[in-house]
Amino acid sequence: MIQAKELTEKLEMFACMQCGKCSAGCPESGKSGLNIRRIIRELTVSPLCELKQTDPLWDCTSCSACTLRCPRGLQPHELIIGLRGALIETGEIPVTARDSLEAVFKHGNPWGRAKQKREEWTEGLAIKNLSDSQAEILYYVCCAAAYDPRVQNVARSLAGIFNESGSDFGILGIEESCCGSETRRMGEAGLFEMIVEDNMKLFNSRGVKHIVATSPHCFDALKNKYNAEAITVQHYTQYVAGLLDGGKLSLTKNLDKIVAYHDPCYLGKQNDIYDEPREILKAIPGINYLEFDRRREKSLCCEGGGGRMWLEGTNTGERLAETRVKDAAEMGVDIIATACPFCLLTLEDAVKITGFEEKILIKDISELIVEAL
Amino acid sequence: MDIIVCVKRVPDTNEADIQISGNFINTKGLPFDVNEWDKYAVEEAVRLKEKYGGTVTAITIGDSESDDALRRAFATGADAAVRVSDDIFNGSDAVASAKILAGAISDIKHDLVLFGAQASDDGYGATGQAAAAILGLPYASLVIKLEADNGKIRATRELEAGMNEVVELPLPALLTIQSGINEPRYISIMGIRKASSKEIKVLSAGEISVNTAEIGNNSGTKTEKLFLPPVLKQTEFLTGSVDEIAVKLAQILKDKGGTF
Ligand code: SF4
Ligand code: SF4
Repeated sequence: MIQAKELTEKLEMFACMQCGKCSAGCPESGKSGLNIRRIIRELTVSPLCELKQTDPLWDCTSCSACTLRCPRGLQPHELIIGLRGALIETGEIPVTARDSLEAVFKHGNPWGRAKQKREEWTEGLAIKNLSDSQAEILYYVCCAAAYDPRVQNVARSLAGIFNESGSDFGILGIEESCCGSETRRMGEAGLFEMIVEDNMKLFNSRGVKHIVATSPHCFDALKNKYNAEAITVQHYTQYVAGLLDGGKLSLTKNLDKIVAYHDPCYLGKQNDIYDEPREILKAIPGINYLEFDRRREKSLCCEGGGGRMWLEGTNTGERLAETRVKDAAEMGVDIIATACPFCLLTLEDAVKITGFEEKILIKDISELIVEAL
Repeated sequence: MDIIVCVKRVPDTNEADIQISGNFINTKGLPFDVNEWDKYAVEEAVRLKEKYGGTVTAITIGDSESDDALRRAFATGADAAVRVSDDIFNGSDAVASAKILAGAISDIKHDLVLFGAQASDDGYGATGQAAAAILGLPYASLVIKLEADNGKIRATRELEAGMNEVVELPLPALLTIQSGINEPRYISIMGIRKASSKEIKVLSAGEISVNTAEIGNNSGTKTEKLFLPPVLKQTEFLTGSVDEIAVKLAQILKDKGGTF
């Protein structure tokens, strides 16, 4: 039994008029058991809910399309986070979610990799470490970019771009710990609070004033959930667009490719950053830039958010990343560019599954910049 | 049913650069956790309590850092926790640890005592069995399923080659729990915080029934040498086209006596 009265009241769910705009825009509606409108209805009628059929709660990708579309200004995606939180306190959560949360607690990253290996991606690169040097910018790497062999190339590309532009930046090295974005979205409020406290202590001790993040997930959490008013937080596409504007970076090599940009939900829908990634891509000489039909506010979710990197979901239909790749194939796209480690990984899987591996490349914008330098 | 469950706090050496000084591993900088098998034992104890009623008491040996393992037991649903702690315990082997734990267990009312089947650090897999012998309790090891029935316990044991064995034991009894017997619940940070106000009873060597001449540095076994085995270079990356790789791989399997 979950008592959701406090939660529904706090989130003002009684203002819901059951218009269904949320569920109509939800990427999981129809392909999983998740029906956000119905959940709201059930909880406002009877807040003491059995929620026996809780599995669909773990289908939510926390994309926040529901929140963006709600005419009453409600935040249905936060209701899901709150309900997950209630499940977390009962201890009965999917095993893979449990393991990733325990790994965040124990190792500071959701994959349970060793802390000591966190700066392995820097091998052969000269990058300042804020534990013994000072720098204007903290480059916040992200667990995925630090450990995942595919995403490590994004971190290496960004370090190269920062160096090329003469940016004064440093990293936290093995002291960097998970930002807690997905921890919060999975409902582990207590752990998130602890992460924020530890990270803020570290940022303050290192004199951090300006953070540039690889991942929209870290960016979103650091910017919106850390109450760190004194720190400027940017996603790297914002920072790099500024470098291009200021003439600190020039893209000269021709990249004779057809490129379409996939908007990450945490960057676009949740933080209104749609233009900077496009500006960067259009600044690359030779690129034939195309837009997906489903773009910007209507961008198709890759299903990597909300903890879904560690949750299979009840998911019966086709993975949305596969739909995305098929759309790109129809458009004749050579490269799907994105700006998020999770999108990169889910799309890359999808390219393999759909058999377009030879035809379509999945690239992070940072990698394309490096090719054009 | 009153259940006692023994837990141990262990370092996680996964991917770690192990530093050995003398006969000890330098654990500084290593993350610690509750021994994996003990998590299953605690979960099983709490599930039995939830089903049959009674109490769960968690016991550990160690200094105050081991309180974490007990708090997690509380957060899972344990009712009481005991930490036996004394400098004289240092250097205890599996049997000496069993003597210490048996000393603490014998003073607490119990129908069932659960241990993890082994600990991930020392890996003896002997403490539970030794404790059963000392306490004079019937025991079963590597238990993967448990049912209580009329003052008896029916335990399914995991044998080799995928075989299982069902044994029946009169209570009180001692069981060592194999991983996979259940899915341990998630222990939230909020849950641990709530548990931190619960009392942990700390007992020294003088407060339990144990012969100090048989434990710690007087243990039966002594570590003579601790070392990392030499690394054998056996990894080979095959390159070439898929066909070439397949031919090379087939040759290697043949040469090394693989199945063909
Ligand atoms: S969009 Fe808003 S008002 Fe409409 S059903 Fe969803 S939550 Fe209710
Ligand atoms: S956040 Fe996204 S996936 Fe979750 S309920 Fe809202 S629209 Fe659906």
